[in-house]
Amino acid sequence: MVLIETVNLSKKYAEREVLKNVNLKIERAEVFALIGPTGAGKTTLIRILDLLEAPSSGQFFFNGEDVSSHQVDRLALKRRMSYVHQRPLVFNMNVFDNVACGLRWRHLNSSIIKRKTEEALDLVGMASFRNGSAKTLSGGEMQRIAIARALVTEPEVLFLDEPTANMDPVSTAKVEEVLAHIINQRKTTIIMSTHNMSQGQRMANRLGTLIGGELLQTGTVSDIFNQPQNRAVAEFVGVENIIRGVVEGKDNELASIAVNGEKITAISNLPVGEKVDVLIRPEYIVFSSTPASGSARNVFKCQVNRINTIGSSVRIEATCGFPLLGVITVQSAQELGISIGKEIYASFKATAIHVIKRWN
Amino acid sequence: MDQILVGFAKAFQLIVSFDPEVMEITGRTLAIAVLSCLVSTLFCIPLGSLIHFRNFRGKRVLINVIQTFYSMPTVVVGLMIFIFFSRVGGPFGVFNLMFTPTIMVIGQVILISPIVLGLTVAALSGVEKGVFETASSLGASRIQATLLVIREARYAILSAVTLGFGRAISEVGLALMIGGNIAGYTRVITTAIAMETSKGNVELSIALGIILIILALLVNIILNRLQQK
Amino acid sequence: MSKKGFKSIIITLSLIMVLALLVGCAPAATTPAPSPAPTTATTPAATQPAATTPTASPTPTTPTGYPIQQPKVRFKIATTTSLYDTGLWAYLEPAFEKKENVELDIVYAGTGAAINQGKAGNVDAVIVHDPDQEKPFVEEGWGINKRSFAYNFFMIAGPAADPAGIKDMAPVDAFKKIAAAGKNDPTNVKFISRGDNSGTHGAERRLWASAGFDYATQVQKQAWYVEAGQGMGPTLTMANEMKAYVLCDGSTFQSYKGRLALVALVQKAAAETLNVYSVYAVNPAKVRGARLDIAKKFINWLISPEVQNMIGEYGVKEFGGPLFFPIADPTFPAIPDLAENMKPIP
Repeated sequence: MVLIETVNLSKKYAEREVLKNVNLKIERAEVFALIGPTGAGKTTLIRILDLLEAPSSGQFFFNGEDVSSHQVDRLALKRRMSYVHQRPLVFNMNVFDNVACGLRWRHLNSSIIKRKTEEALDLVGMASFRNGSAKTLSGGEMQRIAIARALVTEPEVLFLDEPTANMDPVSTAKVEEVLAHIINQRKTTIIMSTHNMSQGQRMANRLGTLIGGELLQTGTVSDIFNQPQNRAVAEFVGVENIIRGVVEGKDNELASIAVNGEKITAISNLPVGEKVDVLIRPEYIVFSSTPASGSARNVFKCQVNRINTIGSSVRIEATCGFPLLGVITVQSAQELGISIGKEIYASFKATAIHVIKRWN
Repeated sequence: MDQILVGFAKAFQLIVSFDPEVMEITGRTLAIAVLSCLVSTLFCIPLGSLIHFRNFRGKRVLINVIQTFYSMPTVVVGLMIFIFFSRVGGPFGVFNLMFTPTIMVIGQVILISPIVLGLTVAALSGVEKGVFETASSLGASRIQATLLVIREARYAILSAVTLGFGRAISEVGLALMIGGNIAGYTRVITTAIAMETSKGNVELSIALGIILIILALLVNIILNRLQQK
Repeated sequence: MSKKGFKSIIITLSLIMVLALLVGCAPAATTPAPSPAPTTATTPAATQPAATTPTASPTPTTPTGYPIQQPKVRFKIATTTSLYDTGLWAYLEPAFEKKENVELDIVYAGTGAAINQGKAGNVDAVIVHDPDQEKPFVEEGWGINKRSFAYNFFMIAGPAADPAGIKDMAPVDAFKKIAAAGKNDPTNVKFISRGDNSGTHGAERRLWASAGFDYATQVQKQAWYVEAGQGMGPTLTMANEMKAYVLCDGSTFQSYKGRLALVALVQKAAAETLNVYSVYAVNPAKVRGARLDIAKKFINWLISPEVQNMIGEYGVKEFGGPLFFPIADPTFPAIPDLAENMKPIP
């Protein structure tokens, strides 16, 4: 059942277009993560969904009702949602009152307020801070208070804008644990934004990539990671080899793609003559000192340009007729005796490649 | 030197013995200043909220005008009130309020309201921008969110009121011009000091001066404590 | 804890407030509950500065004795400073308040300012002592029911050294001498004027005119001539500090005597230095709401034999002689038709 739906939602600030024709459908009880670089419009989209701002054009339906229509009681609608802002903000009162204020605004009786507030504080592990001033807490503690404050009203939809940005790892873990708990226990619909790919991966059922104000791709985690539908999404989800080419020949689902005079074989159903981007994740590339005789269809002779060791992995930039980036372990780098200028062979499987149509 | 020492000794005696005249003047001074402050606060907080939360043309200009009136001379307020409240020619003359404590309260309200109003607006502007929206996204109505912002600004607003109180209690020009320094009716500490000094009764002046300084000190202590928050 | 701090401040403020109201309303101990309105501070004046007050009963309680006070009528007068600073009003006020059961509110100002308060409608009666300013006040219809009720004489005070040498001269001659000496030696010979359009200032200008000076060109802005722009008391204090000559009404000078190094140099009773205090009711035809009814009672009370006696007795004990002569005192012919003046206003 669709709970939130936007149709061609756009937002302009003066001449700057922050959101462009966003079409989004979110099911009840779904955990949906908006991913995208900072400044992509994630916060603006959430603010519109939380009724803090009005879109410049387009429609927004909540539970099938058009929110912009005048019949809608916006306050009542707002009271079915909660929003945890990116920067933790607590009110200048004690921790208990901070968490209780949402309930007080709804005029609940005091014994219910007490019980629910204490439950929420327990949930975020802040019960012992009950009577302390909220202003003296650390950033991570404040964010936990902010989350308790948002949860205590048992919203149908919870918006989380970068809930763990600028947070220490311990607090991040605690916050993710609390969120996991309410996802399991309450079946709350959650819409979160994050620029932290792995957080999106861990928490969400579905992802939406918002880049430059456009919702470029929505889908499951594996859809987005393995089959980005365009170059921007691919770049954002960490595909570092994006190689321009043209489909030259086809053999069933195997396509041969001309790249800088070389030929890459990949699985694609794009027709001959199509201009494409060939996407290869660096960790799928295997380096060897002799041409590998395995199942890999693509084997290229390369020259090492740059070596960059990060922790236990080594990033190798090489030229194989086209630039290629691969990641191998320090151990294999030593076995190969890799050094700048050395000739090596790079190989990758046809199935490790994702081919997308190039628009420009 | 002797005269000053004797003056202080007598002044001290007047204070510790709760001299009825000194107490009466002090009480009236406090009552008028406190009441002025209350009235001013009661309308400046809603008005200040309106100015802060609404966007309208000339908002900056309005705030500048309010700030200009911070240092409005007391005698100018006295003159305005004389013009407006005199029974002959004054539009509010029918109320027959000249030379009453009521008109002193009105005058002091006019005098201190720019300060209370301007600093209330500043106090509200000093509240973190996100408070209103956070409240709103937690289900607060506009009024509830506004009240929360006012609550968040409470210390700053209270120091605005305290400043207003200090100005109200220490001014003399207005009290003399429109209160008339009527014994037992509109005589306050400052006007009493002015009169008694001109009559040469330094002891009473010193006693009242000490009380006024103590009051000013109290006001300052409160203000400092608030600003440390 | 910020919350605790906030609470304690609120408590302190409310305590101050309650205290203020209690103290402010203290004389009204008979009233059941002091309400916070400032008008409750209208309780009768508990204490008057004058220590010589013979009738010390300050709080006229209502005859029933029941603690409900009738809201009293307030009657406002503007009086010349000399009558106020000498304590005469503090001495007379309780008697009138008791007799008529009103609150007498006394505002003090120079004659010019008092007349202006009358014209602005802020007072119900004015008490002044400058014939030149009283004339237009009556002719324009503001002041009615004039009665003179007291008089005294202006005198010239100055430093004991008397650098201009005016001792015991006739007032007009003394003025001429001061001007001449001031011209020669403006650092040592000075004259301080009220300079505030008061009755004393008016009398001084009349004396300069009689001495043959044009006030605006030959007196004002001269090096030896200082305009204080203040009441009698401050002006005397200034003259004392500057060792200057000053024209002063005899009563104020006498009541300040102990605190001044100035001495009386010219003080003979004379027609040129006669100083008559008169009271006017403010005309309700010009000032809507002016309390003519009480004003009449007030004026008749001032010329009543009883009050005339009180005026004559005031200051005798403290200063060894009266500060003011009741207008009915025949020793000096203060006004032309005394009999007419003493007739009560119908």
